[in-house]
Amino acid sequence: MLISVNPSDPRSLYLQIMDEVRRALVLGTLQKDEPLPSVRHLAAELRINPNTVQQAYRELEREGLVYVQRGRGTFAAALSDDEEGRWRLAQDLAERTLREAYRQGLTLEELVAALRQTAESRVRGPSEENR
Amino acid sequence: MNVSMIDPLDTVPQAVRLQGLHKGFGGQPALNGLDLAVPQGAVYVLVGPNGAGKTTSLKILLDLVRPDEGRAEVFGVPVAGEGPWVRAQIGFVADSHAFGMPQVSVGVLLDHHRRYFEAWDEGYEQLLTERLEIDRKAVFGKLSKGQARRVQLLMALAHRPALLLMDEPTDGLDPLARDDFSQLLADHLAESPTTVLLSTHLVHEVEGLGDHLGVIRRGKLIAQLPREELNRRLHRLRAVTPEGWTPPQAWASATIHRRTSGREVDWILAGDPQEISAATTHSGATVLSLSPLNLEEASKALLRMEVSS
Repeated sequence: MLISVNPSDPRSLYLQIMDEVRRALVLGTLQKDEPLPSVRHLAAELRINPNTVQQAYRELEREGLVYVQRGRGTFAAALSDDEEGRWRLAQDLAERTLREAYRQGLTLEELVAALRQTAESRVRGPSEENR
Repeated sequence: MNVSMIDPLDTVPQAVRLQGLHKGFGGQPALNGLDLAVPQGAVYVLVGPNGAGKTTSLKILLDLVRPDEGRAEVFGVPVAGEGPWVRAQIGFVADSHAFGMPQVSVGVLLDHHRRYFEAWDEGYEQLLTERLEIDRKAVFGKLSKGQARRVQLLMALAHRPALLLMDEPTDGLDPLARDDFSQLLADHLAESPTTVLLSTHLVHEVEGLGDHLGVIRRGKLIAQLPREELNRRLHRLRAVTPEGWTPPQAWASATIHRRTSGREVDWILAGDPQEISAATTHSGATVLSLSPLNLEEASKALLRMEVSS
């Protein structure tokens, strides 16, 4: 699992870390009982405050996505419900996309229509698209 | 301003506390009733224009400069007259590297410096010497600014101080050296629990590390907030406005910065996001986005903020 964050993104860094861990769980790059990077290691690697990593891990533990073994570290818990994880990811993406669309002055209908059309043209393949 | 941008931070144990500091140099006031509080464990980023009093405040904390009035404490101990004790708790990176003994070698300088610190960690000194590629045989006074800064960093960090004071630590360094510096600071903080008070003009360099922001202007504190409070109290609003639109009354005192182009506004506002959003919609404008600011944007906005005094 690779965790990356963007410090200039105004979204809280601990939320960004939580999203990264959720994503890894859904993608399967982080599997049940596998260790997460240590707080010290991740803080140094991302050049962020160790307290921020601590906060993210604490919240993830509260949500039941990870568990802590004292002295050994933090580990991925079984994803209680894979559907739920995927749904959350989709919601997050929807939230960001919608915000950007509104910022560009687009309506929900226009965005959804464009999404449908793009997805369909991908299925048809680029050759047909260019015809 | 309806929303206070100063949080006294007095409910938590403090590493640094300044209260009502006044200091003048030759009739010019450098500090004009400065208050400041750095909670233990914080990475406190201090910004302000040149001459705002940042360097003077740090020197008062080291008992190198005495205030005309007011009180300065480090870990609850008043610093006046406690110079040696206070300095033993602190790692200091001064803005100037022209100090002490320019004619001696780096090795001699370090051997001398080490004696002041009981907690000096020789293993860590060794590690830092290698990592920072410090040449102990070089003459200190002949080092480039970047090389001298590396030596200063070693001197500040090797005793793993409880409090790190840094005065524009990356000023004048080339981009790679600045990058090395943020990595070194991040590594140090990950390994050693420390409180940091760091003055800088380059807030983006500590964007991920800083968890408190303080702004001083003309020797006075004008803003001081933990990061999560900044996120709660400061927002950038982008909106499209109708023809002949007038901003909501409530904004008059809440606007920190405004940029308007045609029918689009890009404002930085202090206040509750839901109220801002509701007032915007009520005024007939359409909210495009309303988002918190990162540390650098917040510092710039607060530096521009008009303060009635």
